[in-house]
Amino acid sequence: MDAIVDRFIQRPGFDEDVLAKEEMLDIMAPSSVPTLSLPPISQPSAFLRAHTDDASNPDVRIKIAHGTTTLAFRFQGGIVVAVDSRATAGNWIASQTVKKVIEINPYMLGTMAGGAADCQFWETWLGVQCRIHELREKSRISVAAASKILSNLIYSYKGMGLSMGTMVCGYTKSDPAIFYVDSDGTRLKGDMFCVGSGQTFAYGVLDSGYRWDLTVEEALALGKRSILAATHRDAFSGGSVNLYHVEEKGWTYHGNHNVGKLFWETKAAESSFNNVSTDFTSDD
Amino acid sequence: MDVILGITTEKEVIVITSRAAVRGVSILKTDDDKTRVVAPHTLLAYTGEAGDTVQFAEYIQANIQLHEMRNTTELSPPAITSFIRTQLATSLRSRKPYNVNVLVAGFDTATDKPELNWIDYLASRVKVPYAAHGYAAYYTLSLLDRWHRTDLTLAEGLEVADMCIAELKKRLPIDFKGVEIKVVDKDGVRTEKVTE
Amino acid sequence: MSDPSSINGGSIVAMAGKDCVAIACDMRLGMQALTVSNDFPKIFQYNNSFIGLTGLGTDVTTLSEVFRYKVNMYNLREERDIEPETFANLVSTTLYEKRFGPYFVGPVVAGINSKSGKPYICGFDLIGCINFAKDFVVGGTSSHQLFGMCESLWEPDLEPEDLFETISQALMNAQDRDALSGWGGIVYVITKDKIVKRLLKTRQD
Repeated sequence: MDAIVDRFIQRPGFDEDVLAKEEMLDIMAPSSVPTLSLPPISQPSAFLRAHTDDASNPDVRIKIAHGTTTLAFRFQGGIVVAVDSRATAGNWIASQTVKKVIEINPYMLGTMAGGAADCQFWETWLGVQCRIHELREKSRISVAAASKILSNLIYSYKGMGLSMGTMVCGYTKSDPAIFYVDSDGTRLKGDMFCVGSGQTFAYGVLDSGYRWDLTVEEALALGKRSILAATHRDAFSGGSVNLYHVEEKGWTYHGNHNVGKLFWETKAAESSFNNVSTDFTSDD
Repeated sequence: MDVILGITTEKEVIVITSRAAVRGVSILKTDDDKTRVVAPHTLLAYTGEAGDTVQFAEYIQANIQLHEMRNTTELSPPAITSFIRTQLATSLRSRKPYNVNVLVAGFDTATDKPELNWIDYLASRVKVPYAAHGYAAYYTLSLLDRWHRTDLTLAEGLEVADMCIAELKKRLPIDFKGVEIKVVDKDGVRTEKVTE
Repeated sequence: MSDPSSINGGSIVAMAGKDCVAIACDMRLGMQALTVSNDFPKIFQYNNSFIGLTGLGTDVTTLSEVFRYKVNMYNLREERDIEPETFANLVSTTLYEKRFGPYFVGPVVAGINSKSGKPYICGFDLIGCINFAKDFVVGGTSSHQLFGMCESLWEPDLEPEDLFETISQALMNAQDRDALSGWGGIVYVITKDKIVKRLLKTRQD
């Protein structure tokens, strides 16, 4: 049994048999995984499920931030990454200014859906792993390898209550790549992904406007518009749109667009959103 | 999951319903019609629990027709919608509620305007320019937010409808076996197109 | 999330000012996370009484129709308009009629008594307990947020225009922190001889 698990054994009141059952972390080199303490009870994962919200048990007091719309797609000019910025805990809007794109390093981005802390922690950790790879191998890590490190780590915690749906976006040499990685252990390479509670709304608009030969400007507009669509219809998405463009030379940030203003501008420009009245003159 | 979609244009309402009838793991029928004409200018499209749907729709249809015979006058779409909602609301607090979601598409001959109403099994009712039930709503509403205009012609409306159907074909995990597209306008209800 | 009072979402607030009252609601009707409509007003007028109904969408509609019927019957029998105080009692008894299978609503009543000219506002629980207040009453999915906003913004004897600003800010800032409310707003400012209705241009996310 590896060193990490050994550390857990020394905790008082921790049952060794259970550890054998929940054995983990033999995929990564021990030194690269941080120490995460477990509650001193027999079934840590059952404990977590009983006290935080989970698909199987939504009626609890501790609500981990959920609800998001994130998207990334590949096109002629690289990759566009767009996300919303709302964090909700139950129906409570905890924040409208969350950064859901994690800048892993100057040429790789990760998106955040699901548990905010899980994504933030492990994608920052992924940044460290990528840097270590760079120092050891004297070359940039491929997106495939980076996403695999993340996927393997997440998988080693399967069943423990991690909740993440992320897209790792970047360049391998001159090749743009997007990998979808989630806490079930799924890892998929693809050209277009939307993740989060508002994914379907984003897919709708994105599919209808997508072409491979989109210009950079068109692609950024489409990404922004797709997130806007999702913020409008999905109660748990909103706040603002954060836009990124990834190229071979690295990623560039294309601003924070507050939905409060963006919505009315878009509606006026497109004469869309016909379900929303603009007649504010009624005074009877 | 059934696809039930309604889009109002300037002069008509377009109603799109999927043709698959699914029970368990099998598709039992590929030319199912999930609508009933309840009045000359009013079409009822429905989805929900097997059995409840058709029973409820035909109950509504029969009662509206009875009313029409007794009073020799056609009920307006808002009146029919109100009747349907009341029936569902009463049913909701009964021993065995109807588990049915409906769209009421009508053309009001008094105001000369098309009208679309969305009602779910809880009997929440809203008048909307476009609406959908089930998973279809999650994919098509954002598209309709983008492409719908109040002054759409029928041809443009059908184009938007085709975009929605293409999106559903692409993203829904279950084949819904094409759609029936019906149109409600000043001349009544007609089937515009049937796809595979 | 199968709690009936937070399936469709929505919020109401009413405030009393100097010889005036205001009542405001949001415009959303949703199904859990999905926003179905942005045109679902929750305030209804019966004579010079106003009621805001939040909670389960179906019960909002049903009750608005029940009250319309009952107030019309009152008007026919009494040959006069119903006063806010009387209407509040009518609401209370109507709700208690369904004591063992309640309507899932959180009503708020506002109006000005046509005889005394005094502002009247009150709230209810879902089975009709009247909660009379001199300052403000709130209801709906963002009621916690509304309490916070009202506690900090409201002050005694506001003039109609200031009351409008106060209630609008309270509503908009509260619903901006609630996932299930928003998508527009309506404000009624009621004085003895004038009713002003205004639509609020709000965030649409």
